Amino acid sequence: MLRTFAYVRPASVSEALKQMEDRGARLHAGGTDLIGCLRDGVFEAGKVVSLGKLDELRGITVAPDGELRIGALTTIAEIAAHPAVAGKFAALAQAASVVASPQLRNQGTIGGNLCQRPRCWYFRGDYHCTRKGGDMCYALGGENQYHCIFGGGACVIVHPSDTAPALIALDAKVRIIGPKGARVIPLEQFYVLPEKDATRETVLEPGEVVLGVLVPATAPGQRSGYRKVRARGSWDFAMAGLAHAVTLKAGKIADARLVLSGVAPAPWRLPAVEKLLIGQKLDPKLIARAADAAIAGAKPLEHNGYKVPLVHGLIEEVLGGIPAA
Amino acid sequence: MKDEELYFWNGPLPETQAPSPAPAPEPWGETKVVGKPVVRIDAYDRVSGSATYPSDVILPDMLHAAILSCPHAHALVKTVDTSAAEKMPGVKAILKDGVVGTNIPWFSGRGGFTSRLFDPHCRYEGDEVAVVAADSIYQAWDAVRAIKVEYDVRPQVTSVADALKPGAPAVRDGGNAIPPGQPYARGDVEAGFKAADVVLEHTFTTPFELQNAMELHGCVAKWDGPRLTIWESTQGVYGVQGGAARALDIPLANIRVIGHYMGGGFGAKLSHGKYTVMAALLAKKTGRPVRLFLSREQVCLSMGNRPGNTITLKAGVKKDGTLVALQSKTVGSGGAYSDGGTGSVDFVIRELYACPNVRCENQSVYINAGPERPFRAPGHPQGAWALEIMLDALAAKIGMDPIALRLKNITLVSQTRNGNPPYTSTGFSDCLKNGAEAFGWAQARARTPAPSHIKRGVGVAGGIWQGGGGSPPSTAIVKLFADGSANLNMGASDIGTGTKTWGVQIVAEELGVPMDRISVEHADTGTTQFATPSGGSKTVPTESPAIRSAALDVKQQLFAMAAEQLKLPAADLELRGAEVVSKTDATKKVGLGQIQAFGRRGLLVGIGYRVPNPPGKVTNPFGAQFAEVEVNTKTGEIKVVRFLAAHDSGRIMNAKMFQNQVSGGITMGIGFGLTEDRVMDRAQLGKLLTVNLHDYKMPTALDAPADKTVLVVDPRDNAFSNTGAKGVGEPATIPTAPAIANAVFHATGLRLTDAPMSPARVLTAIAGQKPAPAGQKGRE
Amino acid sequence: MDHENKDKPAAAAGGVSRRGFITSVGSGAIGVAAAGALVHGAPPQAQAEAVKAGDVSTVTLTVNGRRQKMLVEARWSLLYVLRDHLGLTGTKVGCERGECGACTVLIDGQARYACMTLAVEADGHEITTVEGLMTGEELGPTQRAFAEEDAFQCGYCTPGQVMAAESLLRANPSPDLDQIRQGMAGNICRCGTYAHIFKAVAKAADLKRQGR
Repeated sequence: MLRTFAYVRPASVSEALKQMEDRGARLHAGGTDLIGCLRDGVFEAGKVVSLGKLDELRGITVAPDGELRIGALTTIAEIAAHPAVAGKFAALAQAASVVASPQLRNQGTIGGNLCQRPRCWYFRGDYHCTRKGGDMCYALGGENQYHCIFGGGACVIVHPSDTAPALIALDAKVRIIGPKGARVIPLEQFYVLPEKDATRETVLEPGEVVLGVLVPATAPGQRSGYRKVRARGSWDFAMAGLAHAVTLKAGKIADARLVLSGVAPAPWRLPAVEKLLIGQKLDPKLIARAADAAIAGAKPLEHNGYKVPLVHGLIEEVLGGIPAA
Repeated sequence: MKDEELYFWNGPLPETQAPSPAPAPEPWGETKVVGKPVVRIDAYDRVSGSATYPSDVILPDMLHAAILSCPHAHALVKTVDTSAAEKMPGVKAILKDGVVGTNIPWFSGRGGFTSRLFDPHCRYEGDEVAVVAADSIYQAWDAVRAIKVEYDVRPQVTSVADALKPGAPAVRDGGNAIPPGQPYARGDVEAGFKAADVVLEHTFTTPFELQNAMELHGCVAKWDGPRLTIWESTQGVYGVQGGAARALDIPLANIRVIGHYMGGGFGAKLSHGKYTVMAALLAKKTGRPVRLFLSREQVCLSMGNRPGNTITLKAGVKKDGTLVALQSKTVGSGGAYSDGGTGSVDFVIRELYACPNVRCENQSVYINAGPERPFRAPGHPQGAWALEIMLDALAAKIGMDPIALRLKNITLVSQTRNGNPPYTSTGFSDCLKNGAEAFGWAQARARTPAPSHIKRGVGVAGGIWQGGGGSPPSTAIVKLFADGSANLNMGASDIGTGTKTWGVQIVAEELGVPMDRISVEHADTGTTQFATPSGGSKTVPTESPAIRSAALDVKQQLFAMAAEQLKLPAADLELRGAEVVSKTDATKKVGLGQIQAFGRRGLLVGIGYRVPNPPGKVTNPFGAQFAEVEVNTKTGEIKVVRFLAAHDSGRIMNAKMFQNQVSGGITMGIGFGLTEDRVMDRAQLGKLLTVNLHDYKMPTALDAPADKTVLVVDPRDNAFSNTGAKGVGEPATIPTAPAIANAVFHATGLRLTDAPMSPARVLTAIAGQKPAPAGQKGRE
Repeated sequence: MDHENKDKPAAAAGGVSRRGFITSVGSGAIGVAAAGALVHGAPPQAQAEAVKAGDVSTVTLTVNGRRQKMLVEARWSLLYVLRDHLGLTGTKVGCERGECGACTVLIDGQARYACMTLAVEADGHEITTVEGLMTGEELGPTQRAFAEEDAFQCGYCTPGQVMAAESLLRANPSPDLDQIRQGMAGNICRCGTYAHIFKAVAKAADLKRQGR
């Protein structure tokens, strides 16, 4: 049962920011990750600041130029079901539809999904690990079957979000507000690798809050999707997943953005693979080369070597499923 | 050595009272109520939310308790400082080692008890250190967190292989390896292997599994003077009564255990727990009722597991499919406190298929992990995993259909029990044959694979369960009221198996009383008859004949009275509603209210005892399951497309409930075969990493196929009991995982021998697969 | 050791005329400990006051159509409040971490885990529990379908399953098998009754369409 905490439900974003100035203040958006972290003692909450009243942060709108604007408090279920998302932004709809379980999708928000803490069982467990300020990563010498094959360092988590890789494939930006003002940055730059800082997953400074995401209108002929591979059909995070956004013009790949989930401490874009693909015809030989390129440089740990053929197979399957014309 | 069939009961099994002489009843022919798909009598209670489970019991003034568990895999408790906790809001009592009344022995093994309630030597993460009772559950946990414990942390070992190495940290005095008993042996395996045309050997591994029933373990305890009432989530109220009486040293007569409704057990709730005793002690100390339920994390840590096993199996077969030799070596662990870890794993190996030369060795070992508790068909899914995959491999090697190979080696007698007694019935052949036909086996096996990276295949596996024939003791009472309504009184728990419903169906069948005019009392040591815990697939075979006998006793008494009054032979009479009527002349009848002797009696009471099964024979249930899978060879995902299960469980009590049980067993087998795996932090702190329901992966709605067919194979076995009904709860989950493994082989040529077959394992196997030599189709 | 913080729901708020404002010590009907102060529900325009850790505040939960004004600690889950304070024990405790579904209720008609929802977050919302699907003593159609299809064994996950099915059918009255499985994917059944549950949901859809 949870430890006690103070609680406030501010009526405006500026009030929320003020409340977040207190040390020990924790944000409650949907609450699905917050409650879990508090139960596991990942961190403490002296005060819970609920965004429940901030209706202005809810909802999806489509701008005249086709840009999709999603408020941070929009639930995952709303995103998965929204007609504006399903058509042109299929990767996001598909990613949202495989997050957690139906009940958690009704509760969890896009802001929370992007900012969620990792699922590493040492991080969530009674271990004072590197990410929590300790001096040891227990996964390195331990049960690392679900940990990373790219981008690891002093910490080898994988980032658990499905929506983040999909949004990065769709070239999304994230709107942030904080004590020092507002900023908009590409979502691809939102995440932090351990080599830079092993104690946090995002660039959010203390007191900063995500307001929403902006997804640019898609190019004509773009198709996108998200494929998730996991041990069970529900609840589980990705063993690996692949978000793609590929534009074909006159039988050739005009643009490609490929982002992996479940393999690195941040959503893992594949620039080398994209470069290989752009300007080419999509055929089995190209796909095979792309799959090889995707796993080049992978550094599996003792128990997660299977992720290498998994990524290879994902590239093959996903690209193989895109009609060549 | 403890009888494997009686693993659900500690100590010598009580004997049944000698029944009054009565003619053996005619076996049922076609039945009117028994076997029909009747809706459960408590369906309303369960779907309305009005059923009160033990964890729903709310009593006035009730306190809530929480346990402080040791966070280390191996540690000595030096000091327990509860001073801050005692002062916290709402805290009413705290117990720890040294407090008067807590020196209660626990965990018996060779040489007596090895531990106690709050053992300062904590041998696994989860060992109990203290317990707090407070006004609210939040306050109780606040106080638990405020207890300061000084631990002397010791080296730990949680890997079975590591525990057997020289120099491994000692889990117990005297070494980690438990001296094995005599190996099982019959015939001469060396000669057998020499005579074989094909000899194969594989090493198989199976996961440690956690029962994780949906309702947490725990109880509510309340004293009234010297009398203690316990509402517990349990499979057996008499087991809890006995355990609590011994632990608390109070007379059995002063303990009443109530176990109506319980949210699943699967073997993990066959006996009382430390929480039972703690709740009683706290209730005594505070003078208030105490509710103590574990958290899910604590259930994962300490409420039982199925030992993971490594089984090396060597098998020899002749070209014509005759099995000539089987040899197994099984290694496993029951945790820190159990001397087991390999129990019953080799039962299917030595029993299911006719084989003259068999040798089975077992090595159990202690590790710093939670104690095993029986888990649905203890040992059997592991043994079947090895045996049934091996048979599939043998069949492939000699070019024989896997079903034909099994049919070639059917035995009609038990090979492991003394004297080789015959089975009273074995429907195993029919399970294989009928199942194959209904499944479309031959067509599916002959199917040409489509050119795709998603490959389809089908597989089969068989099984036998060591229990399931039932036995004494059990007593049932049926009362017939003056208006022709009735009451059934029995001790057996309904753990989701529908016990109350089929019990009422039997009474309805025998007496002709409509089901909605029959009430049931069950699972209450204060008011109901004796029964051993509901487990071991023994409830139907044990209780159904006792209930039938009780109903027959009522009928005999009634007809004797009516016969005298009507001046007709009793054999001519039948009960229709509230009248006793002549079968041959419907005008000759008498209403129950008019039977003078009945009126003087007021009420008819029939007592039924479970008599022993016929000597010199054994009764077991059998089954065969067929799986169709799709394997994505790019991602390693295995999708179970459909299942067919053919089971010989004798006469079935209720068609819908039977299908449900089998379907449930299949789902659990899918967990064993594909998703469930207890993971410990072996190399570092030895803590449990799969300590919640996300990391410990049980099958969800998206993992269980909708397409599940259940075939009933009923050999009409009236030799062993007056109902001819065997158990099915455990048989339903024994062949499931190997059927999937064999289907995966058919689909891909991959012979996976390690359960669960996660995408990780499939991909690793694919990566290691050598390309097929020219001329072969890529199959072994 | 005797902080008598016995919250008395519903009755406690009786007699309050102003919007949610309740005086602290001395309000006999409430019986709140001296240590626990109360905070009034803030009118929307004013700055929100933080509830101090350990204090209780008022929430209004409409549970099965009935407005309940209650005093709750911020950390209390909706599950705890429903069971331990309102006596609605139909909703079950399985894991308290959103990983099993036994505590599924409807919040504003959508399936949610009550264990993952703070009672304070449910303030002002409509909550439906399994008891709320009854009409008097009559089972609702979803419940009837589960009973008829034998879609339970031990029954412990059943209320949660029923609520998940209810939520699914309110959003999609004619789901196909795939949609049913997806909709029920947030509820574990350890007894493994899934195949029967799928049939029950399909039957419930029929019963609802027939107006039964």
